[in-house]
Amino acid sequence: MTCALPKKTQSQWATFARSWFLIDARMQPPGKIASMCSVRLQGKHKPIYHPLSDIGDHVVVMNTRHIAFSGNKWEQKVYSSHTGYPGSFKQLTAAQMHKKDPTAIIKLAVYGMLPKNLTRRTMMQRLHLFPDDVLPEDILKNLTEELPQPREIPRKLSEYTQEERNAFPMLWTPPEDYRMK
Amino acid sequence: MAACRALVSRAVLPLHYHHVCRGVMLTHIREKKRWMKAYTLIMERKRKMEGPPPPKPRSQQPNFDYHAEVEAFSARLQESFSLELLKTAFVNVCYLRSEEERRRALGLDLETTTLNLKDNGELCVHGQQFTKAFLSDWCRGSFPSLPQEGVAAIVGHLTGSEVMCHVARNLAVEDLTMSAEFPVPDEILQGTFFAVIGALEQSSGSVRAGLFIRDFLVTQLIVKDLFDMWKVVDPMGLLVKELTCKGIALPEPRLIRSAGASTVLPLYFVGLYSDRKLLAQGPGETVLAAEEEAARVALRKLYGFTENRRPWDYTAPHEQLQKPSAQALTSE
Repeated sequence: MTCALPKKTQSQWATFARSWFLIDARMQPPGKIASMCSVRLQGKHKPIYHPLSDIGDHVVVMNTRHIAFSGNKWEQKVYSSHTGYPGSFKQLTAAQMHKKDPTAIIKLAVYGMLPKNLTRRTMMQRLHLFPDDVLPEDILKNLTEELPQPREIPRKLSEYTQEERNAFPMLWTPPEDYRMK
Repeated sequence: MAACRALVSRAVLPLHYHHVCRGVMLTHIREKKRWMKAYTLIMERKRKMEGPPPPKPRSQQPNFDYHAEVEAFSARLQESFSLELLKTAFVNVCYLRSEEERRRALGLDLETTTLNLKDNGELCVHGQQFTKAFLSDWCRGSFPSLPQEGVAAIVGHLTGSEVMCHVARNLAVEDLTMSAEFPVPDEILQGTFFAVIGALEQSSGSVRAGLFIRDFLVTQLIVKDLFDMWKVVDPMGLLVKELTCKGIALPEPRLIRSAGASTVLPLYFVGLYSDRKLLAQGPGETVLAAEEEAARVALRKLYGFTENRRPWDYTAPHEQLQKPSAQALTSE
């Protein structure tokens, strides 16, 4: 039993413990999610950070199927790969990649944001991606904290009530016979 | 000479260079001595076999004048000791016995050569009582809510042989003690230090002695945690007792945070709430360990022994210490 440990040991245990963070990626830009993940996987959010210390935390990302690229990136962003053999240059748009594997976009984004050294693979092992919000029980038990989403999700017009729509100020009142397209 | 100075800067000297003592180096530059290598290797082998030489007391090393050292001891501590009392304080019973036996063994006539030295038994007892009383008063004064067992534990720790011997060795009391064996055993060194404090009290008064104890023993508390010195087996029970005495609601433990519950290195933070307000929170490897740590943190807060408490002001003059026993009497 660890009950009789001196105080310094107990507070050190708390300082060096590995936390488990949860991020909901619904309607979020994958780049912002990936930068939050990479900061916590490296341990840069802790004052005891050192690149050799291996004090990164676990990050669990859910709803990766529902990420939202801004602009036309679903059609314009291209993920390329080449196995080295002739004729094996593949280029996939983000939409095709997402259809094939809903976690791949965030995984590649985080991989590119981590430091390019041997610790990167260990940090990627601590990243857990789930396409929907169904999480396995043991991961649910481990979670410490949910992080706030980086982007505020705008409400759809169908989510506004009729009162709010009526209360919204109009720039000009159209005449009776004005036809709105 | 430049060549030999360059060689001296190496960690291990080459074969024909010897340090005779500090500041003197012998260099066999004229011709290489053929016996040097064999001699050096044999001496090294002998040293490795026998191990390091036994420590010699400072009184048997060169340049030692006992009277001058005792005066220097008193001057170094900026205290005016009466030198006879101080010299008596350093003499132990075992030394007297061993001296008498040695004189008897040498065949000297006991009547003509009696030792005129008194031993430090009385001074030791006196010093011990004064130190314990002073430390208890100081503890009770600076931590008013600490219970009797806590005060006794702190005083016991500070007057225990580890701390006292550490302080005594660094104040050079060990060099001046006269005892039968060397290195001086811990209990004898502790007794000698108590005797020194007793001698100080009788020479300069209890105020100066109190300041001495404050400056040398109380400072040993600086980085220490309360429960390192005071072994409490059931902190939760003690906390419940304290809170019922004060009339505050009993603590309810609640799990505040957890991390990695199904891994091999879990962490739990448990908070203790009394009447819906947070008393203290503590981390732990299991929920029970975290609850116990939270109880300890709450006790530390109650007794005022936290890490971020205001440190004791050692620069203040002795007004705070004036008649501490009288203060304790008047407060009770």
